[in-house]
Amino acid sequence: MSQQYYLLRNREVPNIDEMPVYLAHGGYQALRKALNDFKPEELVDMVKKSGLRGRGGAGFPTGMKWGFLPNDGRKRYLVVNSDEAEPGTFKDREIIEHNPHQLIEGIIISSYATKAREAFIYCRGEFLFGSEQLKRAVREAYEQGFLGENILGSGFSLDLEVYRGAGAYICGEESALLESLEGKRGNPRLKPPFPAVAGLYGGPTVINNVETIANVPVIVTKGADWYTSMGTAKSPGLKIFSVSGRVQRPGNYEIPLATPLRTLIEDYAGGMLPGRQLKAVIPGGSSVPLMTPDKLDTPLDYESILQAGSMLGSGGCIVLDDHVCIVGATARLVRFYREESCGKCTPCREGTYWMTDVLDRLEHGLGTPEDLDTLADVADNIGGKCFCPLGDASLGVLVSALKYFREEFEAHVAQHACPMGERLYDTINN
Amino acid sequence: MIRLTIDDQEVSVPEGTTIVDAAAKLGIDVPIYCYHQSLGPLGACRMCLVQVEKMPKLATGCTTAVSEGMVVHTQGPEVEKGRKGVLEFLLINHPLDCPVCDKGGECYLQDYAFEYGPAKGRFQEPKIQKVKDGPINEFVLIDQERCVLCQRCVRFMSEYVGEEQLLLEGRGVETVVTTVEHEPATSQFTGNVIDLCPVGALLSAPYNHKGRPWNIDRQTTICPHCPVGCPSKMTTRESHIIRMEGRPVPDRDWGWLCDRGRFGYDFGYHPLRVLDSTVQGKSLSSAQAMRDTAQWMKETIREHGFGSIGVVMGGHFTAEEAYWIKKFAEEVVHTSEMATLRNVPGYLPISLNGTFEDIDQTDTVVFVGVDPYEAVPVVHLKLRDRIRHFPGLRVIGVGPRKLTSGTLPGIDYQVLGEDEAVVFAQALLLAKGDDPTVQMLGRNVADYPLPVDSETLKTLGETLLNATHLTMLWDGENPEMEQIFKALTILRQGRTAVLPSFGPVNWRGYEKAGIPVRYEDLRNLLMKARNGDIRMLVLWGADLLRDFPDRDLAREALEAVDYVVSAQIRPPLDLPYTDALLPVAAWGEVEGSYVNMEGRVAVAAAGVQPPAQSRPTKTYMVGWARLFQQTFGVEAEWDLFEDIEGDLIPRNADEEDMTPQPLKRPDPVEDPTQWRVIRGELVLENGIPSEILEPRISLFVGRIHPDEAQALHIPAEGGYVDVETSSGTITIGVRADESIPERTLWVPRSGHYEWIASLNGVKQLKRREEVKSL
Repeated sequence: MSQQYYLLRNREVPNIDEMPVYLAHGGYQALRKALNDFKPEELVDMVKKSGLRGRGGAGFPTGMKWGFLPNDGRKRYLVVNSDEAEPGTFKDREIIEHNPHQLIEGIIISSYATKAREAFIYCRGEFLFGSEQLKRAVREAYEQGFLGENILGSGFSLDLEVYRGAGAYICGEESALLESLEGKRGNPRLKPPFPAVAGLYGGPTVINNVETIANVPVIVTKGADWYTSMGTAKSPGLKIFSVSGRVQRPGNYEIPLATPLRTLIEDYAGGMLPGRQLKAVIPGGSSVPLMTPDKLDTPLDYESILQAGSMLGSGGCIVLDDHVCIVGATARLVRFYREESCGKCTPCREGTYWMTDVLDRLEHGLGTPEDLDTLADVADNIGGKCFCPLGDASLGVLVSALKYFREEFEAHVAQHACPMGERLYDTINN
Repeated sequence: MIRLTIDDQEVSVPEGTTIVDAAAKLGIDVPIYCYHQSLGPLGACRMCLVQVEKMPKLATGCTTAVSEGMVVHTQGPEVEKGRKGVLEFLLINHPLDCPVCDKGGECYLQDYAFEYGPAKGRFQEPKIQKVKDGPINEFVLIDQERCVLCQRCVRFMSEYVGEEQLLLEGRGVETVVTTVEHEPATSQFTGNVIDLCPVGALLSAPYNHKGRPWNIDRQTTICPHCPVGCPSKMTTRESHIIRMEGRPVPDRDWGWLCDRGRFGYDFGYHPLRVLDSTVQGKSLSSAQAMRDTAQWMKETIREHGFGSIGVVMGGHFTAEEAYWIKKFAEEVVHTSEMATLRNVPGYLPISLNGTFEDIDQTDTVVFVGVDPYEAVPVVHLKLRDRIRHFPGLRVIGVGPRKLTSGTLPGIDYQVLGEDEAVVFAQALLLAKGDDPTVQMLGRNVADYPLPVDSETLKTLGETLLNATHLTMLWDGENPEMEQIFKALTILRQGRTAVLPSFGPVNWRGYEKAGIPVRYEDLRNLLMKARNGDIRMLVLWGADLLRDFPDRDLAREALEAVDYVVSAQIRPPLDLPYTDALLPVAAWGEVEGSYVNMEGRVAVAAAGVQPPAQSRPTKTYMVGWARLFQQTFGVEAEWDLFEDIEGDLIPRNADEEDMTPQPLKRPDPVEDPTQWRVIRGELVLENGIPSEILEPRISLFVGRIHPDEAQALHIPAEGGYVDVETSSGTITIGVRADESIPERTLWVPRSGHYEWIASLNGVKQLKRREEVKSL
């Protein structure tokens, strides 16, 4: 196993979050290159050619998104989605806390490419340290002339502001993020119009994930061809995976897409804890279906994982071992969505509440055989009927758990108790 | 137009129409909670799921716009399953309150549960508990458990009214609708959320537990409290009016009411209601009172001849009642001395009278002396509707105070009320001075000094002339404005419409019935009374001292005549001069027609019995005629609708003189040592008593400039001041108001405070330390 870092290349450098250190390690060279050597349109073409896809979870081609902006002379905005709240995902956090300048460099290049004159970083409410780091880095970038009027004499000007949310998962959804950024209640907006046409304050807006933006300087430095040399034709390039759970070395790993899941868990993360067996993997954050150990050789790219019945999502890889009660884990994850549902649409608001209560009952041995059918039917009544993706996200783990581990649910009913004995679920909840 | 197929039927609708509206055109009902046509799509409740061919999943009919060739199915197993699922979700946390819920029997949740819902629930977990019967304000209760979070109320208040007083608090299943900072909502339009609420979450506090749909009656009526005459429904039970609701009229009116109209329905059984016939201080039987008063009429005619009885109409009578009074006056007591009680001198020819359709199309609206939010609140809402669809709406205020507001922002020209017409004349002179009509109009006022610079005035003139559709709202305070309106109609290319906001509410109906309605008519009548030509006054709902601005003339007239007969629903200020006080039936107790500020006729049904001795106008007329040994037929002789096409009074320009006259030069400014007293219509405070409205009515009705309020140490909520007037010192409650200029005291034009009538020659305001009970 040879680990080659590009996005996380400076992770071992002390004080890389400080401007002089970042500059000494080649920082803002990509920005100079972008401003000196490329027109904005050429940069958009380069990103299109690189095949870079949104790393927030949906995997939408970034260059195409940039191309949607209408050319009608209205003021454009670039918004960076740093509301990383998906359970099991902590890749953006490492970038903004450890190496904020890399993100800021990416924002300036991306704004130049999309002709945005004002950019915002919407930082997750809980990321207090991260937002402080970002604010300090932004200040340093202004002092250095990388932000503000006429950046590096190029004639391009950009203002960047860091905004910390109030702590709501739903604000990771782009339209709810815009509402929150405008100072309103973080509820998702009706689409269309999409943000590219009517986004922040009604203006054309690009919204990208932190990791997506952090890819841009690397692509500018090394070229689109280099980027497409990794991964598959449809899923090229690099992706950071956050591995958590019962593995020897949990953490962020940057690997080319299409690397097998087995390599990620067994080589990079060091395999399971001693004496533990792999039971299931949630490969893309808590919103995606479980994968069973027989799918371990699936390549980690968008298409292959979809074919294997799950989704690549945000790359938050949660590894569950044989000591984990699937019912308890499902109950815990569904509870998260119940807490985070914004309450706007009926199925998500009421359905997640209902499922949480039934799952709690099941976990504590108070379930009935009918509960399993009820759960499946409630999930069916939520699926595809909600206003935004949050409702569907709450179903990923539950539906797959009912499919692959139905006997474990039935055992809870039959034994009137959790057969795992270990009340991990209670420990977490109390 | 877009053509699509819904349930195998083809329909053509304009681009941008939603599926639910297209389906409604075909008479297909798609269940909805959150969607309301006036508010636009939201997509929250998910009840309107439909199947659209070539779409991978069910679509919401309220958020999906139609497209050419679209094929929609509003029925089918998949749709049924989806709706059942959503309905089940809505019900899991909904309390089983229906037996004690006001909405029971007229509730969309019940209706759809009956249609789609399972008979038995699968939900066995505890329901979320929230606040029940919490207050939104004095009039509106919220039961958060029953709420389905459709957001209609929140969106109505913040987006439609523009007053953000309701919000969603908490998130997920704990989300509740509540007021901002948990303070009572103070808007004039809060009651509309009761009508908007599709379930039993928002309830009328005065109607709470008063009746169920199967033991109430509903009558179609109009609201009688201001000249808007909003279409409404009256709920009655056991001969009491217990509720007012809005009545939407398709393509014309959303059915909004202001809180005054929605909750002020209880004047019929208010403790102040006149119930007995009182003749010269003695309470008599109604028959005896009629005999006595008829005797006075005979005596007056015998001694002073025909024409010695004067009749003044006021109040809220129907056009038919006005006609009967006119007929009685002419045929029985042989007098043509009739007038209508006016509190402002203006008059508007019917051919200049606009309609609310003008508001729907206007690009420039001018408030002349009137703040629509206070005087004619639903017109304010109609303007809000317009500004939502046409954000470029120009709003202009011309009057003695600031008339535009945060919800209807615009430009204000603050001048004295008597100078309003001069502002327009000079503006027109500056913008189009070479026009002979303009020159003639401004002949006497071209050099009249105004506190507005000429550049600003010129812009106003150009705006007035160039607006494509000019709508003007007028309080009638400055009678010279009539010449301006006439001139504008001649000068402008596009449509010019005027909406008069003055009362009495049915003055157009009185006019149509043949009663003179001009201010001068009343003035002449009172002068004749003062001079002894008229010896008896019959005041039908008219309270001269409360409403007629020249109080001295009114008092002298009342003192001079031999007899004053006054038919009222509440004790008049004229009471000391009244020889006979007769109780009369009010709105809601007799059926009849009303003509509103558009000149539109509407019929108000009767729903309740007149209380105690109060009798309909018709009964008095017929009874008196009999005492004169005359037959008096009141049936089918006159029909308000006779010469009307549709429901609008005809705009017969040929019969009216539409030539403008030169403006009269206003008299020089009054004594500068005196405070200026300005009056404005305030529908909430218009004097018709209501116990339900009392908590909302401020004790501090007067308003002064914030700096002066500060100098007098008036607290934010208001305080009492001693006002030194030419007729003594009066203690009144005042509060600070930014729209009032300095050295100006604003008071409601009419109210239930007697002092409003005697505010003349105000010299000074002094802080009053101890609170005097009023």
